[in-house]
Amino acid sequence: MIGFIKKDLAMIKSNLKLIGILLIVYAVMGLMGEMDISFLLPFMSVMIMISTFSYDNYNKWDAYAISLPDGRKNSVKAKYIATILMVLITAIITTLLSFIISYINTKTINYEQIVITMLGTIFGTLLVLTFMYPTIYKFGVEKARIGIFLIVFGLVMIGGVLSKYINLSFIVKSLSFLENYIVIILIILMVIMVYISYKISEKIFYKKEF
Amino acid sequence: MENVLEIKNLCKKYDNFELKNISFTLPKGMIMGFIGENGAGKTTTIKAILDIIKYDRGEIKIFGLDNQKYDNKIKEDIGVVLDDMFFPEILTPKDINDSMKSIYRNWDTLIFYDYLKEFSLLPNKQIKTFSKGMRKKLEIITALAHHPKLLILDEPTSGLDPVARAEVIQIFQNVLEKEECSILFSSHITTDLEHIADYITFINHGEIVLSKTTNELLDNYGIVKCTEKEFKSIEKKDYIKYKKTKYEYEVLVENKKDFKAKYNISVMDKITLDDLMVLMIKGEE
Repeated sequence: MIGFIKKDLAMIKSNLKLIGILLIVYAVMGLMGEMDISFLLPFMSVMIMISTFSYDNYNKWDAYAISLPDGRKNSVKAKYIATILMVLITAIITTLLSFIISYINTKTINYEQIVITMLGTIFGTLLVLTFMYPTIYKFGVEKARIGIFLIVFGLVMIGGVLSKYINLSFIVKSLSFLENYIVIILIILMVIMVYISYKISEKIFYKKEF
Repeated sequence: MENVLEIKNLCKKYDNFELKNISFTLPKGMIMGFIGENGAGKTTTIKAILDIIKYDRGEIKIFGLDNQKYDNKIKEDIGVVLDDMFFPEILTPKDINDSMKSIYRNWDTLIFYDYLKEFSLLPNKQIKTFSKGMRKKLEIITALAHHPKLLILDEPTSGLDPVARAEVIQIFQNVLEKEECSILFSSHITTDLEHIADYITFINHGEIVLSKTTNELLDNYGIVKCTEKEFKSIEKKDYIKYKKTKYEYEVLVENKKDFKAKYNISVMDKITLDDLMVLMIKGEE
């Protein structure tokens, strides 16, 4: 499987410059006290990893991957692990940078807020992965992009309509007792949803013919 | 003789195409040319062998093992070149080496770099800067660098110019001299196979038409060129197919010696795989 991860990471080498530029933009905006864009890097890393599906598809890699030892199983596993690795690495770098910015700006470091923000970001990006990857394996990357746009659009619409008729603050309040466990709940939720997503993708890819 | 590849009654049905009871065997250390026109079923058969597609019925054994059950074990010893280009073109040969050495247990980095040097492929250049011939060479090198016992090559020479084709054929010949390797080599360019293949398997419309040694084919089969009167004197059981051209009849016979002994009609001495393929496909029964 490591070979497949190496191949996926080698494919995004040329995007490292983009990540570097984003880091600089984030640092500058942070120091100027402008908008917090710390979510951008982990989110971009998922987007970059999704672009590897386009290359695989364009160059018909998947058929070849299956002809390699344990190819059907490992190529799916590698995509998930490479993406999670990229999300975690960019999240750690952004978090460290946030500590430095926070210290320069205020002479103190608001550890808790930074870590919670980053955890929320990781959760959000992995949510994208959770929905996107099985959709990509099933319908291909182009259709999956449109599909995910429709899903997000639909959710926003439903949320908007619901908030008109239902008192959402009541739900938030009634769930407030979970606040102390939020970190552990987020982590457990992330593990479960990524695992289920992986199993679905694996099943789709196992049946797929090229 | 031990067989590295055995296919028995392989069937796969699509809406507009069907593989019908494909059966053939490739003995150890031999090269089999797998010929047929485009769309005859060569790639589908190869994809079934490699488990890229699932088949409906039949049996495929590689090194005596079921190809689906022992998928992982088998693939350690197979080198593959597929019909289409398959490496993501933003990768470099160095990236391929780094990945493959973690994928194949027997990956030989030294030999990979030796081949790169031999074929003037730069390790740090992106594949998208390579010509078609260079890409094909890289694919072939990659298929060879883990010392496979079986090479499965789907049209490895198609789209290449004559010089690149000769170079590619030379690579396989060199490998066969050094290593004990069997090759299944699909091609519609039959001239590539006449010199190197020990066996020829011919597929047409999803069915195996014949599977014989190359010598048996080229020595025994013959094409009779004759007049209409002469053709009418030939019994139906003595020929396989015939084609009527503007001035004469071309008749494919399975055993030219027997034919000569029976009829007083001259037989072309030398037959090529191309002649055979055209008459088999276009000829009438």
